[in-house]
Amino acid sequence: MLLWRQFVMEWRLYSRDRVAMFWTFAFPVVLLLGFGTIFRDGGGPKLSIVRVQPATPSDRDAALDKALADLHLVVQSLPKAEAEARWSKGETAAQLEPDGAGFRLRLNSYLMAQAGATAGLANQAWLVAQARLSGAPEPQRIPVQVESPGHKRSTNYASFLLPGLLGLNLVSMGLFSVGMVNVSYREKGKFRRLAVTPLPKWIFLLGQVLHRLTVTVVQAAILLLVGRLVFGIQNQGSFLDLLLIMTLGTGCFMAFGFALSGFAETSEGYAAISNLVFFPLMMLSGVYFTLDSAPSWLQHLVAGLPLAPFIRALRAVFNDGAGLAGHGLGLAIVLVWGLAAFVLAVRRFRWA
Amino acid sequence: MSGPALRIRGLRKAFPKVVAVDGVDLEVARGEVFGLLGPNGAGKTTTLEIIEGLTPADAGDIEILGLAWRDRGQEIRARIGVQLQSTSLFNKITPREALDLYGRYYPKCRTAADLLALVQLEDKADAYHITLSGGQQQRLALALALVNDPETVFLDEPTTGLDPQARRSLWDVVRRMKAEGRTVVLTTHYMDEAEALCDRLSIMDHGKVIATGTPASLIADLELPSVVELTFEEAAPDPAAFAARLGQAVERRADLWEIPTPDPKALLPRLLESAESVSVPFQQVHIRRATLEDVFLHRTGRSLRE
Repeated sequence: MLLWRQFVMEWRLYSRDRVAMFWTFAFPVVLLLGFGTIFRDGGGPKLSIVRVQPATPSDRDAALDKALADLHLVVQSLPKAEAEARWSKGETAAQLEPDGAGFRLRLNSYLMAQAGATAGLANQAWLVAQARLSGAPEPQRIPVQVESPGHKRSTNYASFLLPGLLGLNLVSMGLFSVGMVNVSYREKGKFRRLAVTPLPKWIFLLGQVLHRLTVTVVQAAILLLVGRLVFGIQNQGSFLDLLLIMTLGTGCFMAFGFALSGFAETSEGYAAISNLVFFPLMMLSGVYFTLDSAPSWLQHLVAGLPLAPFIRALRAVFNDGAGLAGHGLGLAIVLVWGLAAFVLAVRRFRWA
Repeated sequence: MSGPALRIRGLRKAFPKVVAVDGVDLEVARGEVFGLLGPNGAGKTTTLEIIEGLTPADAGDIEILGLAWRDRGQEIRARIGVQLQSTSLFNKITPREALDLYGRYYPKCRTAADLLALVQLEDKADAYHITLSGGQQQRLALALALVNDPETVFLDEPTTGLDPQARRSLWDVVRRMKAEGRTVVLTTHYMDEAEALCDRLSIMDHGKVIATGTPASLIADLELPSVVELTFEEAAPDPAAFAARLGQAVERRADLWEIPTPDPKALLPRLLESAESVSVPFQQVHIRRATLEDVFLHRTGRSLRE
């Protein structure tokens, strides 16, 4: 069958380009090794605070330092000049410094997520220290715990990163590599000879989508294997569900890439167009930060985009061991986008 | 099986800066080898790419094997063979794989082994496309044009950039196509190629057909079917004085003078006498029949190679 022949030939030619193939498979692994190593032990990034050393340390200073340590804040005690130098370089998220009789917190406006959390802990520590100094009973703290939407508490932060990495890698492969390759081949006239044959465009395109789909599955398998062997990260859900989600997502974003490539004349043009789509898709997906403060029309609009339901389903299955039950609508959105993009891709596709 | 292999009426194509095809009419009979001869930029390739369905025309009617592109595009594609001016395949596909793969696109196809033998590419059958020489790539492109056993074959400058020996062997393949009963339409800017291969040809210039006929009839139609050449050891001198003395037009080329004439026998004594009297330091005298080059020159006032 023609589609099968086309698919086999795509793989055969692909496997001959050793360098490209190596990096396709190696790049996500390198990313995983990098992030995994950074967050290897414990539940996420450590919070630290820079403490400007007082000219003459008092009892209060000693009590505060003790309380900060009790709340697991990493304290770096520095003389004023050194602390200022560090602040100016932008490496400090939060700095606690003497201010008249009391203290003041300075928070780095570029690192608000860390600085905010640190400030909360520092304030609690100060309340604890004051109580200890006055001999009053220690104020009670509300216990905090970190867990996934599926109620999983992993001690291994890298395991939360893996599905996001998988998803993002797949989206960028679809939007950037696949579409770009398509445009540059067209630019070089590689498709012109095909244009004078009776080969239907949809078979040619579907052959490519299927090829990239299987590439992605292999890529994901390698990533999962490395994650498991090196960091002990386990897929909590069913591999079949994972495969289904990956297939839907890959198909959808590959079709996106092919559709977009029909709108660009040159590789340069494609770079602009794909970024135009990629960044809003990523920023507005609600996957990496919430859109609670966005206008409600935007939230409605964004609810229909395919990236968020895809990543949510992927995380739920992988990290929480959930089934697909709650993700039917989300995956249907991904499927509809994928089919629409493929139809558009076939309609817009030009051989030359 | 009705109608000619190809019929074109009023074909026009304008690009933003140039009118590439400016009202071309052509008719090619089945079984004919038909040539489009003209200098680079004459509109030959654009004409051919419109016929092949690669470039949309601005105006005009095209019928291939009695079929129109509008409603029978897939059938036309299945029945024609195409060699593009430059065939860019994937770098790491081999000739055997390419012939196999492209063959599958058609309802009927010839085997890769047959085609490789036809274009003498057996020893490169499993080499990557990118490692083939220009001539080998051109031969593979020719084999690809025959992969579907087509009734009509379109060849765009099939021998450009080839060495003389490779050109001859390519000519043999074209002659074999004709012997097998195929119609061949080719473009070329080599007049010797057009004379050697074509049953009929059209000469194109600036997007227009300026003459059509058999090579012999085009030459015979010239008023001055013979040319006397005087060759020089170095660059040819200004022929003005000599031409005045001879009373006949003289064209100066790089290292020779050309004197077109209806009757070389009568011209020769006068020519030698004139050359002596204005002391022309020529080396040799040649008398030759006019060629398609002279036809082009006569019709446009320019040389094909300019």
